Amino acid sequence: MLTAKELALTGPDIRTADSELLEGLKAGSLPAFERLYETHGGRMKSVAMNLLGSAADAEDAVQEAFLKVYRSAGGFRGGSSVSTWIYRILVNTCYDLMRRGRRRPESPLPAEIALAPSASSDHSTRLAIEVALRRLDPKERAAFLLCEVEGFTHREAGEILDVKENTSRTLLFRAKRRLQRELSASGAFLPPEPA
Amino acid sequence: MKIDCRDLERVLQDAGADRELAAAFEQHAAGCAACGRALAEWRQVSSAARTLSKSWDSPELWPRIRQALAEESQRGPVRERESRGGFGWSWLPAASIAALFLIATAGLWVFRNSGGRDPLTAHWQTTKDPLLTEKAVDEVDAAEKAYLASIEKLSRLAEPRLAGASTPVLVNYREKLDVLDSAIAELKASIDQNRFNTHLRRELLAAYQEKQRTLQNLMKEVKS
Repeated sequence: MLTAKELALTGPDIRTADSELLEGLKAGSLPAFERLYETHGGRMKSVAMNLLGSAADAEDAVQEAFLKVYRSAGGFRGGSSVSTWIYRILVNTCYDLMRRGRRRPESPLPAEIALAPSASSDHSTRLAIEVALRRLDPKERAAFLLCEVEGFTHREAGEILDVKENTSRTLLFRAKRRLQRELSASGAFLPPEPA
Repeated sequence: MKIDCRDLERVLQDAGADRELAAAFEQHAAGCAACGRALAEWRQVSSAARTLSKSWDSPELWPRIRQALAEESQRGPVRERESRGGFGWSWLPAASIAALFLIATAGLWVFRNSGGRDPLTAHWQTTKDPLLTEKAVDEVDAAEKAYLASIEKLSRLAEPRLAGASTPVLVNYREKLDVLDSAIAELKASIDQNRFNTHLRRELLAAYQEKQRTLQNLMKEVKS
């Protein structure tokens, strides 16, 4: 589950805390990396898990992303916010893992993985979306996961995916349209509630 | 506002930014079963998406990361580590080839332009001064902007191909572009420290040209 600290630091608070981290990251300070992990580790695991489909791969990707942050923090020039820069490194690391094909097989979620709470009636739709997501183009999938699942704005998602804000909107629209069509065809949606 | 079923795509793409449009379509959907269902399904996708966020305890992950960071720091300064191939040996051949190519291209470019045909190098041809004047810097900045506009256009076209790169040729193009991007980033960082350095400006322009050419070749490759 998310720690109290992770829950407390969301949205603008996270960005403020990020800028304070930068100096520590540039200096290679271990406590700064620990703070980075405490603040973003949970969300990073979730993004990687949804992109890669395996908890073990997600943890590998997060670890690799931290090493890349360590190696490149000195060269970070502030073209984007620190948090979007970190997630950009993470998403690219996930793409690299997908490309290298060294991933563990996709598996059902382990019992210990907690999902965000939902009405039980949404469960079948959620499962159907998880399956349909795997068939999306990687950028559309990433836009959907970042904006709809993790709550990033289009500006942030654009920075993470290295596309313009409007491109992020288009990617999300396409992703949702494909998911809607696929789920509709497979009868995964709940019947409309009677008026 | 006159609204009918043909406005569905526009309304969904607009995502509620135009409130008047959204309200008018909502009214239409209340009396149209197909549009009503489409809207309800659209909302179900969003509502289910919010439940896809996952969290789990990983008590061993931070210790693992801390250990990896400690090992990394013992290997020496970042620059030294990168030059030893710290990002993975698989990069080394591609990076070396691309670096050699870049140097050769930069050399050729300087040589080719020594005849005085390229306006970008007009200043460099009339003076041996290693520093540019303010006016020359403005001209070079303008030239760089033109390259950047062209590169951005090509990058937009190439992006979908590279994102789903599955053939060795496309993967090589992607790696070469990554190497060029890091070279460009390093040169820009150095230029930020010294905007008037002629040599750095030349190298940056050569890198832009190489990136433009690579993207053009990639598009040809995709079309063929």
